Amino acid sequence: MKKHHNNPDSCTACTVCIANCPVTAATRKFRGPKMVGPTLERMRLSQDDIEPSLEYCSNCKNCDMSCPSGVPISTLNMLARAKYFKNRKRSLRDWILSHGEKMAKLSAATPGMANFGMKMSRGILKKIGISDKAPLPAYASKSFSKLFKNLKQTSYPDKVVFYPGCFINYNDPQVGMDFVAVMQANKLEVIVEEDFVCCGSPLVVNGFLDEAEENAKQNVQILKKWTDKGYPIITCCTSCGLMLKQEYQELFHIEGVAEYAKHLYDADEFLLDLHDQGRLNTNFGTLNEKYMYHAPCHLRAQGMGLPGVELLALIPGLDVQDADAGCCGISGNYGFKDDKYDISMEIGSGLFKAIKDSGRDTVVSECGTCRLQIGHGANVKTLHPLTLVRKSYEAYHK
Amino acid sequence: MREYDIVVIGGGLAGLMAAAAATKRGKKVTLLSLGSGTLTIGGGIVDVMGYLEGGIPAATPSAGLLQVGEGHPYKKIGRPAIEESIRFFKEICEQEGYSYIGNLDKTQWIPTAAGTLKPTCLVPKTMDTTELKKADKVTVLGFDALKDFYPSLIAKNFKKIPAFAQKEYEVVMVDPKLSEGRDVTALDVARWLDTEEGLASCIEKMRNVIDSGSVVIIPPVLGTRPDYAVKEKLEKALGCHFIETASVPPSITGLRLRTMLVRYLKKNGVRIVEQAIVAKSIVEDGKCVAVITEGVDRERTYYAKSFILANGGFYGGGLLAEPGKVIEPIFNLPVEAPTDHELWANYSLFSSEAQPFAKLGLDVDEKMRPLDANGKVLLNNVYVAGRNLRGYDFSFEKSGNGVAIASGYQAAMSV
Ligand SMILES: Cc1cc2nc3c(=O)[nH]c(=O)nc-3n(C[C@H](O)[C@H](O)[C@H](O)COP(=O)(O)OP(=O)(O)OC[C@H]3O[C@@H](n4cnc5c(N)ncnc54)[C@H](O)[C@@H]3O)c2cc1C
Ligand code: SF4
Ligand code: SF4
Repeated sequence: MKKHHNNPDSCTACTVCIANCPVTAATRKFRGPKMVGPTLERMRLSQDDIEPSLEYCSNCKNCDMSCPSGVPISTLNMLARAKYFKNRKRSLRDWILSHGEKMAKLSAATPGMANFGMKMSRGILKKIGISDKAPLPAYASKSFSKLFKNLKQTSYPDKVVFYPGCFINYNDPQVGMDFVAVMQANKLEVIVEEDFVCCGSPLVVNGFLDEAEENAKQNVQILKKWTDKGYPIITCCTSCGLMLKQEYQELFHIEGVAEYAKHLYDADEFLLDLHDQGRLNTNFGTLNEKYMYHAPCHLRAQGMGLPGVELLALIPGLDVQDADAGCCGISGNYGFKDDKYDISMEIGSGLFKAIKDSGRDTVVSECGTCRLQIGHGANVKTLHPLTLVRKSYEAYHK
Repeated sequence: MREYDIVVIGGGLAGLMAAAAATKRGKKVTLLSLGSGTLTIGGGIVDVMGYLEGGIPAATPSAGLLQVGEGHPYKKIGRPAIEESIRFFKEICEQEGYSYIGNLDKTQWIPTAAGTLKPTCLVPKTMDTTELKKADKVTVLGFDALKDFYPSLIAKNFKKIPAFAQKEYEVVMVDPKLSEGRDVTALDVARWLDTEEGLASCIEKMRNVIDSGSVVIIPPVLGTRPDYAVKEKLEKALGCHFIETASVPPSITGLRLRTMLVRYLKKNGVRIVEQAIVAKSIVEDGKCVAVITEGVDRERTYYAKSFILANGGFYGGGLLAEPGKVIEPIFNLPVEAPTDHELWANYSLFSSEAQPFAKLGLDVDEKMRPLDANGKVLLNNVYVAGRNLRGYDFSFEKSGNGVAIASGYQAAMSV
């Protein structure tokens, strides 16, 4: 069964997806994945019809994960959303939330505009439809690409290509730096392409499909070039990873994705593969620490289990407990929207409670926006798994 | 290489039970699951054996077990293992705070949303009919705007059932005020009752329409979580007995059972890989070395000492029907089927015979290992469980979840 066969007819109307959709559980305004996705898609094939509640879908992919018939429901929803916006005017809010990369570049180029998103009064943001309560990310003072350029790596014959993605690049560059340190500890040199652009995930969820496709074309060409040369590509952001390997195939018809996807890895999975081959640096120092773990939906959707949990289990002393409480609710920029903020917090409430009940004050998760939401909703510190891997390597040498 | 003791393929009831029994034995287990299985559709009621050949109701599940034909999975598993599997299942439920009632020596007839009775073996406490049987007066409670549950139809049809004909029926309605947005389903009402405010408001509304001491039939809405908190709070506040009917998809009882079993497995260290599409296997000298999943990105290989194949039947994806033949796609195990497609189905309507098509599946030995046409074991370390087994029509005989539990357990115990 191929997962990218956009065929609504394989839906048997079993309703399992409805039972598993976190947005359906949180609000009655959403009619649910089955109705909005496959059922209406059958009609859309013949007429230009639109389901108004489609805007509530967050593209979290829990429906896809539960469907017994392999219907790519969330992608049908995103395609329908793009079609809906084809000839309609877009809100400033949606434009801003979709163009984080442009916004970041703009603020970097205009010193006075630094931290535009944060400094611009929350009142103004609220006026255009961005929640004044949402955990909007701040821009880092130096982007990952700047930090990386100034970093002296040891050169090794084995190299990997890193796709940082916007969040790591502009908001949380430390994760990228931790990644490089971990690769170096494994005698691997990291290559970062200047010409990579945003994977397009924030564009797709807001219906800017054509722009996302332009980005995809550019990324595909670069990714393919490197994997053709035999270099693996690695991401630390699970939504970027899912976009580059899966959603590109479902949404667009671009040659080459299937080829490079074979060599595109999540960082944790890559390290576990090294371990399987007996070449992971296992000089892990003891970390007598306790953490909760949250599995991003976009990781679970990738059919590789929870590599972060398996990887961290290799570190002596470390106690990492999977919160196992479902979607955090943020879904990229969904929870930033004023009319979606409450839904997003309601979705995450189960997870926040599980975290608070655990009494642990730090949560580990691969996804940057999940980390923002969890920090906000459960009032805890958050980390990427690789930060702990790096810390453990460093502890070994102390 | 990471190697596990056991890889279980399929996360339906058979796979979940197999994984549970295997971890109980101290095995290191990986569960490769795809979608959420038939539980959320079919429900968490455990049928063991309801009807014999010819459509005759079995006196008890136990009696039914004694009367199954040679090729039936129950015959292979044998009575002691079936009993143990049921005991093990009930033990997990008890331990997790969501105990099931019933045993093999008694058929439980439970009300359906159509106002009929259906024979089964194990049910959650929300479906205990003890008080219903005793009651002279029964209240049937519906929720305004709720689809697929018509209290007056239930009351009318109950009047036609001899054992229920003497009772007096009263139909009452509660408005959950969930009319905003989409159609209301039992799942919506159950989620409403999951919340403190919803429960409190429901209690107030119920107080107006039902008397203390009533026996109340309701749709399956007593919370989505695998516990009895909603039932207990409602009953305490109102002094009534509530009995849920069997449900239409998505099934709340199935959802609860699945949530509970998955939680149990994770607690016990089972590695669960979601969205794992197992496509093929590596077999050497009559033994499976590994199975391979096929993602949109690449293949992933899972090594283990033993494998349990619990990926469902034609519906779940474990068996594929092609013109004139049936295929088991992962190991390419033989499925004996008449080459003449016409013979697959029993075309007479309202037939009292099981469907030949539904009985197609994999033949196994008493350890659940797959056999060829001559009865020779094909793969030494592969065990089959659940809907893909040959020789039973779950829908006709009412045995689906029972076979899933017994065969999943037997497979794990045989490893
Ligand atoms: C509408 C309906 C109502 C029912 N009502 C009842 C009832 O009231 N009582 C009762 O006892 N029984 C009932 N049943 C029957 C019962 O649900 C099934 O017999 C039983 O659940 C089967 O369990 P299983 O684990 O064998 O299969 P499934 O639940 O089908 O599980 C198989 C799993 O394997 C996965 N899978 C398939 N292919 C692959 C692959 N290549 N790689 C990885 N995973 C794979 C599937 O996605 C699925 O998750 C009902 C069934 C239906 C359809
Ligand atoms: S992608 Fe998420 S929000 Fe959208 S329909 Fe699926 S489960 Fe619901
Ligand atoms: S889970 Fe899949 S088959 Fe079932 S209703 Fe949803 S889309 Fe259709």
